[in-house]
Amino acid sequence: MKNNGTVEITFHGRGGQTAITASQLLAQLAYEESFKDVIAIPIIGAERRGAPIQAFTKISRNKPIKTYDSVVNPDYIMVFDTSLLEIPRVKETIRDGVTLLINSAKSIDLSLFPKNLNIYLVDATGICINRGFMHSSGPILNIPMLGAFGKITGYYDLKIMEKVLKKEYGENRLEKNMTVAKDAYNSVREV
Amino acid sequence: MVEATNDFVQEKETIVIKGNVSAAYAAKSARVQVISAYPITPQTTVVEKLSEFVDNGLMPGTQYIKVESEHSVMASIIAASKAGTRTFTATAGQGLFYMFEMLHWASGSRLPIVTTIASRGAAPPWNIWADFTDVISCRDTGWMTAFCATHQEIYDEILMSYKICEDSDVLLPKFVAYGGFILSHTSKPVIIEDQDLVDSFLPPLPDEKGWPHIWFDPERPLMFGNLIMPSGFYYEFRMKIHDAMVRAKEKIKRVAKDFEKIFGRNYGNGLTQEYKMDGADVGMVIYGDLALQMEQAVDDLREEGYKVGMIKLRHLRPFPVEDIIEIAKKVPLLGVVDRATAFGSPTGGPVSCEVKTALHEVKGTARILPMINGLGGREVTLEQQKVQLKMLIKLNETGELPKDMLYGTLWDGLLEVK
Repeated sequence: MKNNGTVEITFHGRGGQTAITASQLLAQLAYEESFKDVIAIPIIGAERRGAPIQAFTKISRNKPIKTYDSVVNPDYIMVFDTSLLEIPRVKETIRDGVTLLINSAKSIDLSLFPKNLNIYLVDATGICINRGFMHSSGPILNIPMLGAFGKITGYYDLKIMEKVLKKEYGENRLEKNMTVAKDAYNSVREV
Repeated sequence: MVEATNDFVQEKETIVIKGNVSAAYAAKSARVQVISAYPITPQTTVVEKLSEFVDNGLMPGTQYIKVESEHSVMASIIAASKAGTRTFTATAGQGLFYMFEMLHWASGSRLPIVTTIASRGAAPPWNIWADFTDVISCRDTGWMTAFCATHQEIYDEILMSYKICEDSDVLLPKFVAYGGFILSHTSKPVIIEDQDLVDSFLPPLPDEKGWPHIWFDPERPLMFGNLIMPSGFYYEFRMKIHDAMVRAKEKIKRVAKDFEKIFGRNYGNGLTQEYKMDGADVGMVIYGDLALQMEQAVDDLREEGYKVGMIKLRHLRPFPVEDIIEIAKKVPLLGVVDRATAFGSPTGGPVSCEVKTALHEVKGTARILPMINGLGGREVTLEQQKVQLKMLIKLNETGELPKDMLYGTLWDGLLEVK
């Protein structure tokens, strides 16, 4: 947390992995959980499926957020695709003291990172495949990633997720959305 | 004629939405009757959201027209406005340039059209990110122009704009501009107001007689905008547009006051908004998204004991000459930050030129440091803005100008050019 009470989160994903939507949903979840101010900042260029993309969310318990700039020292980093960890631009964002949430079924080679990290793994891709939670070109990773993030941070629980997802995507898709959220919430593990 | 309807309910709610969606909600809250649309990044989601509202029956009675270009957007909006309806559209960058010819047709016909601009850089090379050169290039078209610094301000300014534009002493069109992507695609909490309250704030929708200055009756057809000889009233019409524009300043102030009374949100006097200028040694004049982040820079430096303040410029047209003079009497030095260009002009930045012009021949006013920043969406960090404020303090104390000035203007945050 920054000294002004703002928590900053960086999302690393690939085009089509729904990381940008995740940054926006996280802002909504935090606001619903009575954070005073939130902002979701997608970095948008010429979007292509598979290209590395970044997004940021800033959430603040007490103070208004007055900045629009990118997050450079995040408190949390969500990695939607482990292959991104090899890209220097992504790697350099992982600094001492950061909490990482990585979508991975397998364990991660810890020698890649600084030592003073908290690392959590969740098999979001596996959950999506298992539950048939897919869009035209792959798994919809944002909901399970956010389920896991709620669990490890305690910033919001499944009830808040249910409320926001119902408002955002309606009653019809709620059960499916909540199934993958719960799967991730219950299976995320610390390394 | 489109019928005004009352059969949708909007209760006050706060939702986390993109700046573009905030604009769409404002158009809905204002009960606009005709929307004409052509998509262009980064504006597209404004008209997408409105098409969704119309499609879902949330804007009963609203006509949504899809056309083949921005030129046609404005042509159709002009026709709809002439017929006496409240109209809305949105565009950006190249789309606005393509619309340009029709802009004069709108202001020349004195039509209260409100158009949002998700400002972006001008090509080439292609650029879709924040840069106000697009809307400022339309400075002399007779359109009023407002800048927004926050997602909430987009919603609020659109509502205020209808009230200003439709005032019978004004009757001019208006741009509501905000930085592309920085506001259009980021999401923040926005209060969508209770419909009854918005209805009580805005003037009633025009009745079948339309606007007071246009006699529009299909039974008795008339031609509009035909050729006028040099001996005709063309010259006088121009004088009246300028007169209305200048007098709109008082209306803008009054509407901002009314707005605060009803909705509780303060936007200074409507034209400008001072921030921590009391006891300041230096100040920064700044507009758009950069203004909000500059507030944080001012907050941080004030905490460190630096006496700095800022003025958010909310309107470019009409230009708040009196406010600028008043502020420039308070401090010996003002920085003016442009996220826009005016090539070959005295300072290179459009607003710093305006500020200097306003202060011309006024004794005892601040020295001006023109600055350019963040063109084409180049990221401007909080740290960078704090350095800018400290640079002003240093300039004020020592007279030492920053390095890399180009013809008297500081282009801050340039990459090294070899």
